[in-house]
Amino acid sequence: MIELTSTPIIILAILGGVGVALPVISIAMKERGTVASYGIVTLIALFASIGYVLYQLALDHVAPAAIFSQDVLADDAFGSLFAIAMLIVAIFTTVGSFSYMKNKANPSVYFSLILLSTIGMVLVAYATDLVMLFVAWELMSIPTYILVGFLKKDPISNEAAIKYFLFGALASAIIIYGISLAYGITGSTNIGEVIQGFMVLDANLIPIGLLAVGMFIAGFGFKMGLVPFHMWLPDAYEGAPPTIAALLAAGTKKAGFAAALRVIVMGAVALSLDWTLALGIIAVMTMTVGNIAAIMQKNLARMLAYSSIGHAGYILIGLSIAPFSTIGIQGSLFHILNHAVMKGAAFIAVAGIVTALAVTHIEKIKGLGRRMPITALGLVISLLALAGVPPLNGFWSKLMLFASAIDAGTVVWWGPWLAVAGVLNSALSLAYYGWIIRKMYFEGETEKRIKEPRAIIAVMIFSIIFMVTIGVYPEPIIQFTEFATPAINVAFTP
Amino acid sequence: MSNELIDFVIVSVALLAIGIYGLSVKRNFIRMLFAVEIVINAANLNLVAFARFLPHSGGQTFALFSIAIAAAEVAVGLALIIVAYRMYKNIDVADFRSLKG
Repeated sequence: MIELTSTPIIILAILGGVGVALPVISIAMKERGTVASYGIVTLIALFASIGYVLYQLALDHVAPAAIFSQDVLADDAFGSLFAIAMLIVAIFTTVGSFSYMKNKANPSVYFSLILLSTIGMVLVAYATDLVMLFVAWELMSIPTYILVGFLKKDPISNEAAIKYFLFGALASAIIIYGISLAYGITGSTNIGEVIQGFMVLDANLIPIGLLAVGMFIAGFGFKMGLVPFHMWLPDAYEGAPPTIAALLAAGTKKAGFAAALRVIVMGAVALSLDWTLALGIIAVMTMTVGNIAAIMQKNLARMLAYSSIGHAGYILIGLSIAPFSTIGIQGSLFHILNHAVMKGAAFIAVAGIVTALAVTHIEKIKGLGRRMPITALGLVISLLALAGVPPLNGFWSKLMLFASAIDAGTVVWWGPWLAVAGVLNSALSLAYYGWIIRKMYFEGETEKRIKEPRAIIAVMIFSIIFMVTIGVYPEPIIQFTEFATPAINVAFTP
Repeated sequence: MSNELIDFVIVSVALLAIGIYGLSVKRNFIRMLFAVEIVINAANLNLVAFARFLPHSGGQTFALFSIAIAAAEVAVGLALIIVAYRMYKNIDVADFRSLKG
């Protein structure tokens, strides 16, 4: 039995309690509460949760790496890393919403849905049973369908929500079909037992095992934005409120990777098939398509959406070479944590621009460096970090990923080529990030400084400090990711 | 006994194929929603059939969870479609093309 004081249970209690109570309180108060009051309650719940995760880590109550217990949830470092990333993103989204949601309808429902979706993401990362994984996956997805379409009077928001809903529902359906196959051939829904079942699989059942793993890749790949399954992603991120785009890009996408790491990587290792090359090809396709499409975008949110597809490709490098290099998965985890902050900050900066100026077109943000200096600075630092410019945090995680790809070259011939593709794509991404920076600082002349939303400034300052500090002194985070990295090589040796 | 199981699996695979076909060919959102539901029900049929033939009966529990979750998902989906209908007076995919590029 899992203890009642373990991290996922406490997070579930805190966030779930507040998330359910918020709309009820709002009705009891006859909807007189302000955006700020609901937002502060939400923030307290999120800070309490992240505090509890850190407290458990500090007291060493957390098992290292990823464990496969008989319970439906495991209190391990792997889950804690994802929980920290997702709670930081949820905090960004909530703080950004203080100014963005001003004068918009139903703030209590909005914050409550953010909390419910955050529980889903955190539980996906901690789940060790496929039933729990699926329930958490849906708890994460269903609130975000509503949040994407939250601007009921805005046709773009609506269209984005419907497209996102159809693809998301199909992804869930495919995941549950894959789970049903895995259950059928191994006789269990516990992830650890499923993997052990895969290892001793009867020879004529192996094709069904492959089909199940393929369905997991497709289903989780929809949320991760891997390339054959990415069509919905730019539409959803562009049409959604930008604060919610931050939650999607930096939060739900990472939950997809959490599930993929626990299920696909381990499951495919157990099947001992040549899945690595397939994932490597998907990684190269994903980063290339994402970055090339991003160059052609005229809309800031859409460009960031394509760049987010590109980053899914970088993270996938670590997954594809996981059996050949010890730092592959570690690099992926590090980049996941960094990407959550970088992309979250970039989208919150877009939310600030939308709140103050109501524009997202790249031509219309000329001279932003003079109009909104702090937001512009935050956007610049996060874009440079996304491109992997030293000494920012994105540089170290990309370095680790590419180094692991080269390291894998001793075993597989295509390992170094992944690193080559990654470096070329990073250079390419610097082109369009540089274009935005040029528009903001070197074009337009007559702009006057306008009042920036204070909540946005808070997020910007925090994320600038985070990115620069980790960039200058990455050692503690690298140690933490090492602590959280699941030991995959052990399972690979036959 | 295993012949019976293979019958269930064949029906389930057929349902999966019908669902994927419907989703890729139909252009009406309600029909597409039905197609997704057919895929989910194919998986439910699989789960219940496997649970019947396995010593571990967790599959039936999972099917119950999945039915409840699918209901919640459909409720949200239909709400989104109704809001879209009020705005566009239509629920055809072809009319939803302001987001592209």
